[in-house]
Amino acid sequence: MARTQQTGTEIPPPRDPAAPHTPPPARTRPRNRPQPRLWTWLLLPGTLWMTGFLVASLLLVATLALGTTDPLGNPRFGLNFANLTALADPAYRTVLLRSLGYALITCLISLAVAYPVAYAIALRGGRFKNLLIAAIVVPFFANYLVRMYGWSVVLSDDGPLLRTLRAIGLADDGTQILQTGVGVIAGLVYGFVVFMIIPLYAAMERMDTSLIEAGRDLYGGPLRTFLFVTVPATRQGAAAGCVLVFLPAMGDFVSAQLMGGPDQIMIGNLIQDKFFQGQNWPLGSALTMLLMAVLFLGMLGYLRRTRKDEAEATR
Amino acid sequence: MSTPQRRRRGAERRPRFAIAVTALFFALLYLPVGVVVLFSFNSQKSLTVLDGVSLRWYSALLHDEVLLDSLGMSLRVSLVAMAGSLVLGVALALGLVRSRSRLGSFAGLIMLVPLITPEIVTGVAAMLLFKGLGITLSTTTVMLAEITFSISYVTVILRSRIAALNPEVEEAAMDLGATRRQALRLVTLPALLPSILASAVLIFALVFDDFVLAYFTTGVDPQPLSVRIYSAIRFGVQPTINAVGTLMLAGSIALIVLALAIPRLFGRRGGLDLLSGK
Repeated sequence: MARTQQTGTEIPPPRDPAAPHTPPPARTRPRNRPQPRLWTWLLLPGTLWMTGFLVASLLLVATLALGTTDPLGNPRFGLNFANLTALADPAYRTVLLRSLGYALITCLISLAVAYPVAYAIALRGGRFKNLLIAAIVVPFFANYLVRMYGWSVVLSDDGPLLRTLRAIGLADDGTQILQTGVGVIAGLVYGFVVFMIIPLYAAMERMDTSLIEAGRDLYGGPLRTFLFVTVPATRQGAAAGCVLVFLPAMGDFVSAQLMGGPDQIMIGNLIQDKFFQGQNWPLGSALTMLLMAVLFLGMLGYLRRTRKDEAEATR
Repeated sequence: MSTPQRRRRGAERRPRFAIAVTALFFALLYLPVGVVVLFSFNSQKSLTVLDGVSLRWYSALLHDEVLLDSLGMSLRVSLVAMAGSLVLGVALALGLVRSRSRLGSFAGLIMLVPLITPEIVTGVAAMLLFKGLGITLSTTTVMLAEITFSISYVTVILRSRIAALNPEVEEAAMDLGATRRQALRLVTLPALLPSILASAVLIFALVFDDFVLAYFTTGVDPQPLSVRIYSAIRFGVQPTINAVGTLMLAGSIALIVLALAIPRLFGRRGGLDLLSGK
């Protein structure tokens, strides 16, 4: 395979367009140096590793989704669709729909939080921009469980948040955040909102701020300028952020476990349960494939959307 | 939102709403972290009342053999995953940028898989692979899974750096008599050193803190620290977790600051692009 490619690589590699000067191709140097096979060799170990571990393991999940369990509960490969049809069970459908709903709401809340934050930092951050972004990213790198645990303490019935809300009269004694869907969504937002802020911030940074001034010159109020100038100019960042938030939010099981009650389980909790408590691996695999299918559809939509955007931009 | 008076003040208008939301966001971002740190020094077991300052949870931690074993395991796993994913990832990134073979486009494609797959899926998949091969879950399986997961990060970070290198420097080295391999070792790799070091630190921090993958691929004993924390917080409040959490926070923050600072130490600006992917 590498050999047939060799003739193709005889052509000098394209120059970096950003390179300061590109002398005309008056190459007096003899081109007798063999084209490097080294680069292909460098590809090999990593590719083999990833194929062996990642691709093979994902294929295994897909295969086992069609398997069965023997009477002892051991997984058996096979070709039956019982697990896939079992997914039609209304109980699973409820959990799937709940997961979708929670993940979507998480995306929307993240957008609502990330837009002002990214806007304020990118356009008004001045020389503190990088520092502020670092201040957002650093806690995100702290252990996910420790952050979630701290968040659950903050949201707990006797925690600082509810006590403050009660003090200013926004909540009464019976108000709960933990053990409710609100708690789960709060956990998901806290966990993944950074993934929304970073791409949005990058998009705002790239944005031509004279557009905003133009919007103001044309007597657009702040809200109108924001909606009709800033949002369209940064929608690719927002779309990327939505994907980056939606993917982990759909697969998460920690938030639903720590912040929600048994009524709030998500598809991640079901998968976890099938592999650790229920010991029904084929069904767990089928649920995993269902999750992947949902996310794949979402990705497809995202790709079509961005391709359309690109086509419009280049027209 | 836009009263006439405010509009007259023109371009100097400050986006008060955005700034207020940002301030609130920062408060909520740091509140949970602050609570963990604060209560790690509490002299009582309570998570709502601060009674006095003490280090009793830290000393309890020092005597918790199980937690210390987990800490040791997490450190070992992170080191091995860091080394393994660097070797494989740097080579892969070089190959992806420079090679035009078909293998490259295939590798480029699978590189993306871990980045767009929720961790629970890669976790389940890795666990099934090990079980399917008859391998008992242990520290080794966690290491293997974490390497697989980290290669993508190394590759993504280094790819743009390698693409930004001027290949003519390498060619000049070869004109001066270096072999391609020497040019790689003596010219290209030193130029990449800051990025390689920064991604090494980043991978260490990510793997040390990783929970989902470790959860699915770990055996019985010892378990990675994050898995240990998970079982602890599921079964009621344990104040030692505040102390462990505080130490982990401090460690992660130190590592991230280091990763951000490394490119600067080498006299190049903009360590942040490591994180924002710019």
